[in-house]
Amino acid sequence: MLNYQFDWSTVTSGKYFEWLASGVKVTLQLSALSIVLAFILGLLIAVMRMSNNRPVRWIAHAYLEFFRNTPLLVQIFFWYFGSYKILPTAVNDWLNSTNFEFAAAVIALTIYTSAFIAEDIRSGVLSIPKEQMEAARSAGFSYLRSMQYIILPQAVRLTVPPLVNQFLNLAKNSSLAMTIGVMELTYQARQVESYTFKGFEAFTAATVVYVAISLVITALVNIYNEKVLNIHKAA
Amino acid sequence: MKKLVTLFMVTVLASMAAKTVLAADTLADVKKKGVLVAGVKDSLPPFGYVDEKTRTIVGYDIDFINAIAKKLGVRVELKPVTSASRMPQLQEGHIDIIAATMTKNPERAKQVDFSHTYFFTGQKFIAKKGTVKSLKDLEGKKIGTAKGSTSEQNVKKALPTATVLSFDDYPQALLALEQGKVFAVTTDEAILAGILAKAPNKARFEIPRVQISDEPYGLGMRKGDKHFVDFVNKTILDMEKSGEAARIFNKWFGPTTQFHLHRNFKITAGK
Repeated sequence: MLNYQFDWSTVTSGKYFEWLASGVKVTLQLSALSIVLAFILGLLIAVMRMSNNRPVRWIAHAYLEFFRNTPLLVQIFFWYFGSYKILPTAVNDWLNSTNFEFAAAVIALTIYTSAFIAEDIRSGVLSIPKEQMEAARSAGFSYLRSMQYIILPQAVRLTVPPLVNQFLNLAKNSSLAMTIGVMELTYQARQVESYTFKGFEAFTAATVVYVAISLVITALVNIYNEKVLNIHKAA
Repeated sequence: MKKLVTLFMVTVLASMAAKTVLAADTLADVKKKGVLVAGVKDSLPPFGYVDEKTRTIVGYDIDFINAIAKKLGVRVELKPVTSASRMPQLQEGHIDIIAATMTKNPERAKQVDFSHTYFFTGQKFIAKKGTVKSLKDLEGKKIGTAKGSTSEQNVKKALPTATVLSFDDYPQALLALEQGKVFAVTTDEAILAGILAKAPNKARFEIPRVQISDEPYGLGMRKGDKHFVDFVNKTILDMEKSGEAARIFNKWFGPTTQFHLHRNFKITAGK
């Protein structure tokens, strides 16, 4: 039989609940900020990747391959510990006086996820018939303007489902930020565990929150689909 | 859907039941298996670290485990643990004993049974030379430590205004100190001495005379595992009597080492 005394009060009230709540707050800040930035950066890289200018295309290609094919944990350590070696002392001193742990985590999550988002957007764009681009160009739009007004609005629609996946991945990947001392949800769950030895309760609470965050992201995108893009799910 | 949920619940419960360790008699089990599995540190000189020549884990903690296994007449298997993982590993039966710089405290004693104190130290800081004269100099600063350690809890009590940054283990905390990301790193003096001895630019750092707690280390065993606890206690008391315990201390910390620590404790019953 189980010889474990469950004690849910550890995580539902008092000091340890406050720790977990503060962890939830940091996880939400980290995820929301990185999602917005990763989407913007991903769009930019996707447009560069499809540009007619060869060097621009290659830079984007190198960026994609590099950041998609290295582990996120390594990238987090790179931005936090590795950046020190290449930045001037004055910059390092300034960074160390700020909340650099959080910033390094946002940078790593943003760049890593933007590479995947860029590829998703590119596949969306490639599925738009190229005659549309030709038509737009002959109507006098520049390449960037054609992208902005004609191609991307249609492509993003098609890209919504894979984008949701990337947002969900990012929210869960944010837990890796604890390795550089960012006090997010998983970090706090571990803190509660090391103070109370109620690891099962602490991590169950954390799991419930992660699932909730994922469901909220999915729901928001569904609402966006229905209300803004007028895409209705096939019944 | 309902079926799925039921299936899921059954699977979870079954796996949990399978995980529970019977209120074990480790002493008998270890003799039967012919192997003692110990949770040790593998990057924390001189307590437990990988020796560059032999590629095996060696250190003060490991010598104690070897002595206990020798008396049992079994071989030793070492499993690297972190401060955060060592207690769950023990409770789930992946290891038989913890020998990983574990401080004895009342909260932990509710979860595991400790041996007599086999090492005694106190919590201090490493900081850049000349920056720390008293505890006041550390107020409001960023302090690095390792997750799940008592160091983390002590420093929060001693310095409520400081920001404590917890890293996975001490090497990362030291790297953060070298890069100025934290103002000081805190843990037990003996561990700090080991970290400092290995640091690439150790001349720039020092361990100031600021102590915030006493840290008695114990070997951790499963709660209620009486035969095994008694056996381990008897073994380490005998080691004290025969002088073996003092020899192990001097081998790792004594005058011939880079630490030059003086042994200011003895292994005694009831401590």
